[in-house]
Amino acid sequence: MSVWEGIGRVVKVAEGEAVTTETEAVGESGAVEESGDTDAPDRPPARSRRRRFLLGGVTVVLVLAGAGLLVKAQELRAAPAAANHALTDTEATTRVNGDVSSALAKIFSYTPDGTGATGRSARELLGGRAARQYTQLFAQVRERVAEQRVTLTTQSVRSGVVSLDGDSAQVLVFLDQTARRGDHKPVTSAAQLSVTARLRGDHWQIVDIKAR
Amino acid sequence: MNVIRDRRGAVLAGAVLVAAAAFCGYGAVSYAQARGDDALAYSRARDQALADGRRGIATLTTLDATTGQRAREGVRAWTRASTGALRTELGHTRPAVGASARGTVTEAAVTALDTRAGTAKVIATVRVSVTPKGGGAASTDRKRLEAVLARTGDGGWKLKALNAVPVTGSSQP
Repeated sequence: MSVWEGIGRVVKVAEGEAVTTETEAVGESGAVEESGDTDAPDRPPARSRRRRFLLGGVTVVLVLAGAGLLVKAQELRAAPAAANHALTDTEATTRVNGDVSSALAKIFSYTPDGTGATGRSARELLGGRAARQYTQLFAQVRERVAEQRVTLTTQSVRSGVVSLDGDSAQVLVFLDQTARRGDHKPVTSAAQLSVTARLRGDHWQIVDIKAR
Repeated sequence: MNVIRDRRGAVLAGAVLVAAAAFCGYGAVSYAQARGDDALAYSRARDQALADGRRGIATLTTLDATTGQRAREGVRAWTRASTGALRTELGHTRPAVGASARGTVTEAAVTALDTRAGTAKVIATVRVSVTPKGGGAASTDRKRLEAVLARTGDGGWKLKALNAVPVTGSSQP
C-alpha cells in the first residue's frame, strides 16, 4: 500500500503539470511528499500505462536537464579565461612580473668592466631559446662594450602578465634603456619585449624573448 | 502474481525517478557554483577588458582620411570606442582629408582590474602604419601605449584615457 501511495503521488505530480523548465522539474520532484493524493492499486490498465509513460518522460527530461547543466558548468570551468591566472592569482602575478622585470634589468645592464658579471647572471636567469640568443648576441657586444667604454642601464617601466598557467607565463614588458658611450651624453631609448617565462623551482626563468 | 510484479516495477520506476531528480539537482548546483565563482567571473571580466581594450586601442590609432566621408566615419568610431573626457576631446576633432593611419595591436596585457569600480588598465604595443595624403609609401612606427578603461552598462569596456608610455630614463649628462 505504502509503495503504491508513493509512486501514485509521484505519477500524479508528473501528470499534474507539464514539465517545462529544468528548475521546475527539480522543484516538482522535491514536492512529491507534499502531495496528499492516493491511488488504488487496481486502477484501469490504460490509465496505468499512461502514467508509466509519463513517468518515463519525466525521468528522461530530468536526466537530460541534469546532463545539460553539468556540461554547461564544465564549459564555464574549462574556459580559457579560467585557465589563465593572470591577475586572478595576485601573488603569482606579482611574482612573475617582478622576476621577469628584474631579470631583464640585470641581463640588459652592464658596465665596460663588468660584462662578466652580466654574463654570469644571464646564465642563471635565462633558459631555452632565450639563453642561446643571448649568448650569441652578448659575444658580439662584449668586445665593443670594453673597447668603446659603453655602460647600459635597463629598467622596466611597465609590465603586464598576458597569461599565467601553472609554471608557464607570457609577460609584456616596456623597458627604458640608457646607454652611455665614454664621456658622451647618455641616450635613452624604449624597448618593448614579449617574454615567455617558466617557473624553475621558486623562480621564473626567461625562456624566450621577442621584440614588439 | 501480477500485482507483485507491478509493485516491483513501480518501486524500481520510483527509484529511477528519484535518482534522475537527484542527478538533475546535482547538475543545477554544479552549474550555479560555476556561475557564481568569483575567480571565474573575475577572469571573464579580465578577458573582456583585454579584448575591448585591444579593439579600442586599434580603433583610436586608426583613421582613414582619404575622403571626408571616411574621416567622419573614423571620428565617429573614435567616439564609439571612448568615454568620458577622452570621448569629448575626440568628438571635437574636425574630420579632414589628410594622412591616414592604421594601428595594429601586436601585444597587450591587462595590468590592473577593479571589477567593483569598473576600471581597468591595459598596456599595448601598437604598429602604426601611416600613409601620406594622396597615397604614396607608408611609414611604420611602433608605439607603446597605456589605456585606462571604464566599464559600460552592458559589461563592455571603453577607453577613458589613452597615452604613450614616455621614456622616463634621465637624458641629462
